[in-house]
Amino acid sequence: MTYIRKKVAEKQSIASFFGNYRKHMNEGTKSERGELQKVRIAILTSSTIKGIQEVLFEKCFAEGIEAEIWIGGYNQYRQEILSEGSELYKFHPDLIFINIHLKSLLGEYYYDPYSLTERDRREWVSNTMGEVSGLVSFLKNHSSAKIILHNFQVPDYSPMGILENKQPFGLIKSIKLLNMDMEEVYQSDNQVFVFDFDRFSSQLGKFNIRDEKMYYLGDIQIAMQYIPDLCEEYLGYIKPLLSRSKKCIVLDLDNTLWGGIIGEDGIAGLKLGQTPEGKPFVEFQKYLLALFGRGILLAVNSKNNVDDAMEGIEKHPEMVLREKHFAAMQINWDNKAENIIRIAKELNIGVESVVFIDDDELNCEMVHESLPEVLVVCLPEDPAQYVRRLQSISDFNTFQFTQEDVERGKMYSEQRQRSIYEKTATSIEDYLRGLEMEMTIEEMNEFNVSRIAQLTHKTNQFNVTTRRYSEEELINMQNRGALIISARVADKFGDNGIVGVAIINRGASTWMLDTFLLSCRVIGRKVETALLSLITEKAKVSGVKKVEGEFIPTSKNRPSHSLFEDHGFELIEEFENYEKWVHYLEIPILAPAFIKTVFLEKPEGGKLNDAN
Amino acid sequence: MTQIERIISEIFGIDEDRINGDLRRNVDPEWDSFNHLLLISQLESELGITFTMAEVESITCYEELLGAIGKRGIQ
Repeated sequence: MTYIRKKVAEKQSIASFFGNYRKHMNEGTKSERGELQKVRIAILTSSTIKGIQEVLFEKCFAEGIEAEIWIGGYNQYRQEILSEGSELYKFHPDLIFINIHLKSLLGEYYYDPYSLTERDRREWVSNTMGEVSGLVSFLKNHSSAKIILHNFQVPDYSPMGILENKQPFGLIKSIKLLNMDMEEVYQSDNQVFVFDFDRFSSQLGKFNIRDEKMYYLGDIQIAMQYIPDLCEEYLGYIKPLLSRSKKCIVLDLDNTLWGGIIGEDGIAGLKLGQTPEGKPFVEFQKYLLALFGRGILLAVNSKNNVDDAMEGIEKHPEMVLREKHFAAMQINWDNKAENIIRIAKELNIGVESVVFIDDDELNCEMVHESLPEVLVVCLPEDPAQYVRRLQSISDFNTFQFTQEDVERGKMYSEQRQRSIYEKTATSIEDYLRGLEMEMTIEEMNEFNVSRIAQLTHKTNQFNVTTRRYSEEELINMQNRGALIISARVADKFGDNGIVGVAIINRGASTWMLDTFLLSCRVIGRKVETALLSLITEKAKVSGVKKVEGEFIPTSKNRPSHSLFEDHGFELIEEFENYEKWVHYLEIPILAPAFIKTVFLEKPEGGKLNDAN
Repeated sequence: MTQIERIISEIFGIDEDRINGDLRRNVDPEWDSFNHLLLISQLESELGITFTMAEVESITCYEELLGAIGKRGIQ
């Protein structure tokens, strides 16, 4: 068995997991491959989930992960959590799954909930939530592990039958409320995650996952053939913990994004649209677009003539994904594995964070053979099943979601369009003029202060002094009279965000550049000239005679070394690791005509409070 | 190997030559109570049949297992 999944939907029988597990326990895991990533997983449960140890171990192993799994005793979860010297804490888990079955909490009332009064039921819900959150708090104080808490399976039976939802605070409603409470409590907790076990059991069917016979014979709560599905859900938490989340989906075009072969069938012959044959492709694209929206990069890898493929992408009226959604495109007749390496390089990501989706089994095999670290998802024969196959990939999970994730896909594809455009421009001036740049300079305020601090910490190349400042330090400097400005640069391809910072100490006769930096995203676009021009202009208006700048060399800031010389500054001091330059304001620094500059003063009331 | 023999061999981790009338539940170490339930689950899902709880409890050897399967028209 290969250890990277070839096909996501390949379903293994539970028996084969056991066979492999036995083999690994007898012969060890060393012989098959080198270093495995290690993870320690604790599972606390109120019942027996037989088989989970074997299957989870094998599923992890198939991903290149060596899992050490510890399973708490039958219904011992309270003791394990509440005693500091318990086996649980001695085990030092990285992840703790807590699976408490409703039956074990409700006891006899599980069978006859209406022997309780409405008041008792309300009290039960609040007590249960109190107990669970108390246990979790104790756990949080004693372990830094990520805690994955199962919610409760909402009962599918009520003795009240059709009148169940007429009962005040009925059984089913009370469990639903308990689940909602649980989600609410841990909404913004980044250590505790609620696993929607009710969704999981509904998806597979509550009738299916409960095997009554096995329950009576062995107190088995989840029928054995569904244990692999539960473990797959668990992997959705294990993979992001080990930073194994996938970042980019590389897609084939023909019979993947649309039905048919564009080079042969032509754009009009493609199956894509509101017909039974066309709809699966439209919906498949819509789901990809939703993944793009959560920060997953999309790329194209297709054997086609560029013109044919681009016509399909840009001109077909039913396409959901357009050129702007793709961070990279490799459309050629080269080997697809080679193209994936190029895409990863262009996007500056590792090949191991790529998912490759293709309908052609031979292509899938070839990519898998040459790049085993890529997750290859071979589409099923029937396009009707495409969306499901896509939804079954649990490799995009992360424990955090930021605004940067939302913007990522867009920024990458804009960058790609810029570089295509750069290749077509005949001269650098021609290129810069065509970019239609607009620079917005803003005084530091509560909205840009964190980005300004971040840039002083992250920027190494185009940074003349490399001085790092915290938000508090910046606020103090501003309050003492420094002019602190950020520069946002947009062009016809999109917004680059805030990419420049200048900090100027304003003296009576001299303005001193304490900091002058640009993000590497905009180096070589004359943004520095526009920014210097604006600063010197402001200095002149304020009545000073000169602007001074310093250059402090580091191992990385060579790209900014000639900044002052290029803009007509004179060198007035020079030591081994220090240069001081001056510019007299009689001679203006001319802003490039192709950058439109807007200056926004700090708005009234936008003053930041003194950090002292 | 028949389908039934393959399933038994996979779950018990034993070779084909041991799958015969001598194979006994709770005597052969591989056929323990947990593997018994696992075997029943796997046979049910692969062969599309359902045993009763009483049958599951009463099966003590390979012959009886085949008998219970045979009752459902599968050889």
